[in-house]
Amino acid sequence: MNRKAVDLQKLVLVGILALVVVVFAVLNPRFIRGTNLVYILIQNSFVIIAGCAVTLLMIAGQIDLSIGSTVCLAGMAFAYVSRAGAPIGLALLIGLGVGLAVGLINAVMVVKLHITPFIATLGTMYMGRGLSYLVSDGLVIREGLPDVFSSLGTDGIGPVPITLVVLAVVVAVFFALERKSVLGKYSIAIGGNRTAAVLSGINADGIVMVLYILAGLMAGIAGVMMASRLAVGDPNIGIGFEFDVIVAVVLGGTSLAGGEGSLIGMIIGSLIIGSLGTGLKLMNVFTFFQSIMKGIVLVLAVLLDQNLKARLRAMGTRGRRGLTAGVSPEGHGRKTGAA
Amino acid sequence: MSETLISIRGITKHFPGVNALRDVSFDIARNTVHCIVGENGAGKSTLIKILTGAERRSGGSLLFNGREFSPRSTREAMNSGMSVLFQELNVVNQLTVEQNLMLGKEKVRFGMFRRDTAAVSRVYDVLTSLDPSIALHSRVADLSVAQKQVVEIAKAIASQSEVIFMDEPTAALSEDEVKRLFDIIKELKKKNVTVVYITHRLREIFDIGDAVTVLRDGQMIETRGVAELSRACGEDEVESCAELIRMMLGKGVAERYVQGSAQPGTPVLALRGVCTAKLHDVSFDLARGEILGFYGLIGSGKTEIARAIFGLDAKDGVVEIDGAPVSLESPRDAIAHGIALVPEERRSEGLFSKLSIRENIPLMNIRSISRYGIWSARKERQLARSFMGKVRIVARDESHIVEKLSGGNQQKVVLSKCINAESRVLLMDEPTRGIDVGAKEEIHKLIRELARTGTAVIVFSSELPEVLNLCDRIALLYDGRIKEIVANGASVDSERIMHVVTGAGGA
Amino acid sequence: MQQADIMAAGGRRAGTQTIQLAVLLGILLAIMAAATILTPKFLSYVNMVNVLMQVAMIMLTGSAAVLLMIAGNFDLSVGMVLALTGVMHAFLSKNGVPTALSMAITIAIGAGFGLINGAMVSGLRITPVIATLGTMYVAQGLAFIVAWMDGGANVTTGLPRDFQTFGRTMVGPIPLFLIIVLALILFFGFLFARTNLRKYAFAIGGNPTAARLSGIRVGAVITLLYVLVGTLTGFAGSTLASRMGSGSPKVGTGFEFDVIVAIVLGGTSIYGGEGSFLGMIIGALIVGFVGNTLNLLNVQFFYQTVLKGLILVGAVLLSRTIRERRG
Repeated sequence: MNRKAVDLQKLVLVGILALVVVVFAVLNPRFIRGTNLVYILIQNSFVIIAGCAVTLLMIAGQIDLSIGSTVCLAGMAFAYVSRAGAPIGLALLIGLGVGLAVGLINAVMVVKLHITPFIATLGTMYMGRGLSYLVSDGLVIREGLPDVFSSLGTDGIGPVPITLVVLAVVVAVFFALERKSVLGKYSIAIGGNRTAAVLSGINADGIVMVLYILAGLMAGIAGVMMASRLAVGDPNIGIGFEFDVIVAVVLGGTSLAGGEGSLIGMIIGSLIIGSLGTGLKLMNVFTFFQSIMKGIVLVLAVLLDQNLKARLRAMGTRGRRGLTAGVSPEGHGRKTGAA
Repeated sequence: MSETLISIRGITKHFPGVNALRDVSFDIARNTVHCIVGENGAGKSTLIKILTGAERRSGGSLLFNGREFSPRSTREAMNSGMSVLFQELNVVNQLTVEQNLMLGKEKVRFGMFRRDTAAVSRVYDVLTSLDPSIALHSRVADLSVAQKQVVEIAKAIASQSEVIFMDEPTAALSEDEVKRLFDIIKELKKKNVTVVYITHRLREIFDIGDAVTVLRDGQMIETRGVAELSRACGEDEVESCAELIRMMLGKGVAERYVQGSAQPGTPVLALRGVCTAKLHDVSFDLARGEILGFYGLIGSGKTEIARAIFGLDAKDGVVEIDGAPVSLESPRDAIAHGIALVPEERRSEGLFSKLSIRENIPLMNIRSISRYGIWSARKERQLARSFMGKVRIVARDESHIVEKLSGGNQQKVVLSKCINAESRVLLMDEPTRGIDVGAKEEIHKLIRELARTGTAVIVFSSELPEVLNLCDRIALLYDGRIKEIVANGASVDSERIMHVVTGAGGA
Repeated sequence: MQQADIMAAGGRRAGTQTIQLAVLLGILLAIMAAATILTPKFLSYVNMVNVLMQVAMIMLTGSAAVLLMIAGNFDLSVGMVLALTGVMHAFLSKNGVPTALSMAITIAIGAGFGLINGAMVSGLRITPVIATLGTMYVAQGLAFIVAWMDGGANVTTGLPRDFQTFGRTMVGPIPLFLIIVLALILFFGFLFARTNLRKYAFAIGGNPTAARLSGIRVGAVITLLYVLVGTLTGFAGSTLASRMGSGSPKVGTGFEFDVIVAIVLGGTSIYGGEGSFLGMIIGALIVGFVGNTLNLLNVQFFYQTVLKGLILVGAVLLSRTIRERRG
């Protein structure tokens, strides 16, 4: 797809976001209040933080289903160590370390053991969930946490919540990575044509490993921040989180097959879903209707996105050789995981 | 600097149960275009893989620039000054031309790129000298196949390769693009680059080759200068150069057009005024038992006509089968009306690579092995065996996985699938592309046999000799229109045909 | 003519698969043996019935899902559809709908979800991940809504007596529903092995373009498979609710993964084009028995999930090694 097509897609996404915001603002003026918008941003910061790394990962043709369980596990480790009396700095590091460790395990399984990413990360997901339960025998860690535990998630630097600061830093770093760094460009190359990448001397294995480790680390960051904000260590959080992330990433224009994708698209995508959820909550719509809404929006957005892509392709296409130009195999589940 | 760039001595390669190469020896001279030809199974690909590090040889020695050469990977061979252009293009579509040219060679600091304007302009100069129409910032996905190839070639040159291996580079190119490629190759020689050129197309040997090595059954049969070979061919048309074919097959072969078996009466298929996005007013009749050829350059509309008939494109106009108008909106419709298609890209459109021969064949007509929705393993086996015999598919048995067959055998499987659909009209899009001479001849024989038994065949081909060999009539295409339909025979005028399809002649 | 370039191994797919199945069976027997040694309760009648019940749900959905995966697709919504149909069955029964009719309606709901999935995937060309994720969210929401309408988290009270009948009826020593499930699985096994549907699924999964060009109605086949998956899941959901005596929106968590694990364990490739029904059965049994044994041994939940993860990874590794060794 040419440059024009990609920008048009982002424009459409922004349009959808604007539409959602406007609709809810009209239905309930409280939606537009500054505090509410900040609230939306904070609620979604976790998905966005994890999504930054996952976007790059999926551009490289990979997938990570263990993000949710890693978020949970990192939070649990953070809480457990805090409760045991360790200084907050150490507890934080351990939480992050857990995320790193999971990322490393994924990296090794996919790159060294050649296990398909779908299966490998599914496996780590199971194990992560199990470990989360072990940490506290399935109980929520609520008592005995030092006050400083929740400061990370609730306090601010001046008027700005720390959460948003972390979010901004992570996003900035990943923007730089996406645009200017080896990681960004080579991820596209690996996802687009791995053979060409390897033949050009790119260390595809190395890059993929780094991507998984980064994903784990970001999940770790999101995990400790979430635990801090909620002021608990809860082995039940994060279920479905990986799907929220994948939805945001795909909504934002990243192809499941790899080779193309966009960070800003992911952010807008995540905000769309976030606004939708918050908007409905504000209107006292039953929580479970939100679930339904999420499902419908997801499908509609992808439909729109695909239609757009197809229309643009038809406009700008040079006659492709062979009989299949224009015949796309219906719904062939291209399961991600070209390791 | 010595004359010989690569010296191949006694190379052998064993695979379990198979001797892929036996005692192959020849020299590749510097600054020449050295062609390697041979049937599928002759050992071409294995030899190239050994030369470029994708496989280890079992025995013999290899000298590159006078020194022992045993690359352990393609990457290593590339670092030593070799470049390989595979049939599958190795460019990243989602990146720009500049990014592809510099891929892996960028200036990097702490993981971030620094734009190396000097290097970029160096490579870009090489690119523009080959094809000035490619812009640095274009997305590779937007380029044509030929342009993508040029990008790969530029990258190879820029990395100071001494030798570039090209594996069937013209497979997807139009005549014009092929000419450009040949010009580029001639330029390469001037830049001190040696080209090793693997091909099936015999004409190309004479167009750009300086020397040719013929492989057969894993052995080096002959290595000769092209000039000398040319003399030995004498009066023969290059494609049918008896001398060369004898070297490749070990026997002589001559294909000449034989009067066909078109039957009089209502045409089995007729198109009247068919128009699609790319076709204009296409009309023709097809008689039972006739072999009709569609010949034209790339972009002339050959594939579009096949698509229209097979129900893949929306169209205006009338299609008649046995005199009655029918509606063909999908491949299913077409097949139901007795039309079968052997697609252009057999691997991606015609075959189920991971399935076996016997599992592939019934898939266009499952009723041939099933009743009330339940299929019979016995019938499937019998069907496969009968086809393997009739069509001469060479494989261990009917459970042989199709992916592992040679191109010619794969095409025969696709053909069997279509024949099994008991169609009255068989559409064949580039039926012998990428297939060795021996299998080509067998497929042509099969086509004639089919026609003799009453099936009407349409052959869409970009190889004039093939069309002249096979077809009773030839429809000449240009720019989405049928310019003329000529009858084949002794008096057919090839030059005039070329005139018409290049747009120079005709109304 | 010697085809020197053709690799000697023509690749007998059947041979490799037999070995894989044999290995799988061996693992299953080993697990059963170990379980019996570790805890005599394992082989007890009560326990067996329990395990088989859980495993039966996975095998039911798996019976159709395995063909779906072979055809190159998958369904992430089955967990939530399982929950929803269970809740619906309870809700309808509670509100006066005769049990048989209620079951029929819930099965139809399952089929309906399958139809929506199929339509999205083959009609609207949406990738299975997204499409079935969407239905998953919708089903999840609906399940909780229905439970809420009933006034609680689950639909447990006020259910008519014969709600539980289906789940608890016995034919001699064996629960009726197990027999029915067995019959269904056998039927689908037959469907898998001997019908044209099988041929089409393998073809579509192997090369969807070639399938279309060979005249196979790709869209119709895929939709049919989704509908089958949905229908079976609907039946599983209402049966489960019947047996448990209540409809709970929470039963479905992780079910879709259990199904995928069982299928992949059994040798089906994630990418489609190859797979085994028998393998899915053995895979489901392995997962079920392992979980059950650990439960009996009072092993913590942690170890179970960890083990599930390890089994999954191990199975894929094993599968690959076998394939490479033969290839």
